[in-house]
Amino acid sequence: MTIDNFKDIWSLKKPGARDSARHKERIREAIKENLHELIAEENIISSSGKKQIKIPIRYLDSWRFKFGSNSKNKGVGHGEGKPGDIIAKEGGRGNGDKAGQNPGDEIYEEEVNIEELIEIMLEDLDLPWLEEKEKSVEIETEETVFQDIAEKGLPANIDKRRTIMENLKRNALKGKMRIGGFDLNDLRYKVWEQVIEKHSNASVILIMDRSGSMTSEKKYIVKSFFWWLVRFLEKKYSKVQLVFIAHDTEAREVEEENFFSIAESGGTMVSSGFKLAKQIVEDRFPISIWNNYVFAFSDGDNWPDDNDKCLEYVKSLMSLCQAVGYGEVQYSDWFYNWSGQANSSDSPLMEDFTKDSELATNERFITASIASREEVYECLKEFLKGVGEKQNG
Amino acid sequence: MDKRTEEILQLGKEMGLDSFPIIFETVERSTMFNVCAYGLPVRARHWSYGRSYDHQKTYGEMGFSKIYEIILNNNPSYAFMLDTNSEVQNLFIAAHCLGHGHVFKNNHMFQKTDRNMIRHAAEHAERVEEYIGRYGFEKVERIMDIGFALDGHTSWSKGLYRKPYPEKSIRKRTRRSGEFDDLIRMDKSPSVIKEMVNNKFPPSPEKDLLWFFINYAPLEDWERDVLDMIREESYYFHPQMMTKIIHEGFASYWHAEIMYHYDGLTPAEYLDFVRTHEKVVQPGSNPFRINPYYLGFMIFRDIERRWDKLEGKGAGKKKIFQVAQEENDISFIQNYLTADLIAELKLFTFGYAEDYPKDHLDEKFIEIKEKIREEVVEAIVKPMYNGGVPKIVITGVGREGMLLLQHESEEFGTLDFRFAEKTLEYIWDLWTAPIELMARDDAGEEQKLCFDEAGFYVRSADEFGDENQEEEEEKVEKKSWRLIIP
Repeated sequence: MTIDNFKDIWSLKKPGARDSARHKERIREAIKENLHELIAEENIISSSGKKQIKIPIRYLDSWRFKFGSNSKNKGVGHGEGKPGDIIAKEGGRGNGDKAGQNPGDEIYEEEVNIEELIEIMLEDLDLPWLEEKEKSVEIETEETVFQDIAEKGLPANIDKRRTIMENLKRNALKGKMRIGGFDLNDLRYKVWEQVIEKHSNASVILIMDRSGSMTSEKKYIVKSFFWWLVRFLEKKYSKVQLVFIAHDTEAREVEEENFFSIAESGGTMVSSGFKLAKQIVEDRFPISIWNNYVFAFSDGDNWPDDNDKCLEYVKSLMSLCQAVGYGEVQYSDWFYNWSGQANSSDSPLMEDFTKDSELATNERFITASIASREEVYECLKEFLKGVGEKQNG
Repeated sequence: MDKRTEEILQLGKEMGLDSFPIIFETVERSTMFNVCAYGLPVRARHWSYGRSYDHQKTYGEMGFSKIYEIILNNNPSYAFMLDTNSEVQNLFIAAHCLGHGHVFKNNHMFQKTDRNMIRHAAEHAERVEEYIGRYGFEKVERIMDIGFALDGHTSWSKGLYRKPYPEKSIRKRTRRSGEFDDLIRMDKSPSVIKEMVNNKFPPSPEKDLLWFFINYAPLEDWERDVLDMIREESYYFHPQMMTKIIHEGFASYWHAEIMYHYDGLTPAEYLDFVRTHEKVVQPGSNPFRINPYYLGFMIFRDIERRWDKLEGKGAGKKKIFQVAQEENDISFIQNYLTADLIAELKLFTFGYAEDYPKDHLDEKFIEIKEKIREEVVEAIVKPMYNGGVPKIVITGVGREGMLLLQHESEEFGTLDFRFAEKTLEYIWDLWTAPIELMARDDAGEEQKLCFDEAGFYVRSADEFGDENQEEEEEKVEKKSWRLIIP
């Protein structure tokens, strides 16, 4: 290699794009491997309406020995002020000036398309036991599929490969082996089509306990569970009917926004949620036309004499629904964790559910317990694994 | 090169700047992003460059940052200029590059750098492609991931090229016979003593981790080669990391001097230059960051002022050249950032306020801590020690080839254990025998971070008390172990 052709090397080879593609691939891999942690990421759940979100991808950081968060370095800055003056605050969202104690110690954040993220996370999930019903209203799944090639189309949709092939063919006919002298006749365009697949009707009723015993951590878990459930349903079934019910001792149907911005109050009667759900199903979603699903979440801190009622309503719901799910956020107080006696046993309500002979044998009654944020994903999978998968074990 | 660029370079030389020949290349923005992301025009591929490439591109295209030039330490030096620069911008960039070139050629840290790295890195890239073809992309990427994880652990004083450790051997030593031996030495002890030398492996704690593994880990030749390339490139870049402030300060000082003394500019062009220059050496709008261009520029200006005052006009410039030759960023800041200058630049250290009311949810308050010189200087240079990398040394190889590591820079902070776990996993890949890393945790307790077939686990100090004792005994045994020949 002589010095003269160095220039060719750097003007022709632009490896940035190639390595950037590999980097994005690694991000996808990292996301897949760390779904459990990412699914409970606050940034995602509070990203209402945004298309791009930043999530901290600790997992993609280049591993190396480095100092921890208690690094004894101080930052150096410049400006007016005397020692002791407060110059900034950290924490809280939307605060652009992140100081950071440790120069050069940045949290590595990656911008990810939220649609893509949902796709990766919810790839293999399905509503269970979805059946063909009378098609008075239909659930549609929509997909954009690259179907065809045309000779006329929009310039943006030119299929370069096929165009070159056509050009080669035309040149070959003239006995020339070359690409070039493009003609309008060479151009080929990709044609995209919206494919609509029709499914049966489905309604999904989400019930959330918002009683006083639901601590902010518990609520967070439930919130993120339902958030992902709703995103999944919206994405996969464009016309699914969603109903949101919040309850303490009384149940109310609420709007989606209110459902996710719940405030706590009062005692708990889980049965009230199931009762309202039953009413709604009976009024609006006759089983002959609808695939109904009811998913309820509580911490199980129910009034003891209410448990029997719960069982009763759930049993009556079973005949009206494709599946009923009951999820429970377990007690895991900081106190129990700290004292080492983490209380991971189920609540009396959960025990009643799992011991009841009728419900325990019905595979369409799904129960799940969550102890920490990281288990949200497992729980989602539990509730949404397809029938086939469930039967296989 | 146009006439005025030549005049600028000529003027710089007359003022005392001395660089390798500089070849100026005008490139388009995408090429600039590439060169900046890779640090060299052609380098072995790795996804981490893709990350910095994306970063460059995002910020560059949004107009947050603009890279006017990049110059590479090579003989001849290559300087890349953006094709959208104005003519006058290119003139001052030429002057700026001459400043960088002077530091490359004259600063003591650069004396042993590879002045042909552009070519060598391109060769590395070719070899890596070959290995990818032969051994598969994943394997090569994995070994590169490992190499980059460890390439900050260099031993600058020992240098890039080193001989292997001396072989273990037995050395004969004759006892000096004394005049009164026949009287004092009643026993018939031997006159020749045989001693083991170089029994310890490594002979002294080893800081250059990659070098150690390249030489002593059970690796394939191509793996050694890949690690070697990464190590070579790391040694090439290390002096640049250690002279960022000197580099930018010196180059900014000189582009200002040269442009000021150049008479080939129209008044409008001179104004254009001043505007750009002010952008380059401004303190910056972020109070938590110090612009190295600004800091370096102000220190060099201050040096000139002080030495001119002290030893007469002209002495300042002489001093500046001396400083650019002899210092690195640590000594530069320690020796020349004066208390007066700190006050003038309004520098301070900051940190979290400790006794602030905690009723603000998750909010931490940041306060000005100190403005005194010692504190400010220390806060600037502390993250530079050892290139900001925790000092990890190999202290020995124990039973069954167990690799013993020790974290030695605890005064700068404790290790991030999660990162340590993943890095130990990398080392396990290379070494293939168990590894133990001694390090303190956040509470100050000594811990053993272990990695073996079972994966990663941590053992606390009291759990290995017994073993320590065993080791002690072993050592004692070794010390008393001498072959005695009558």
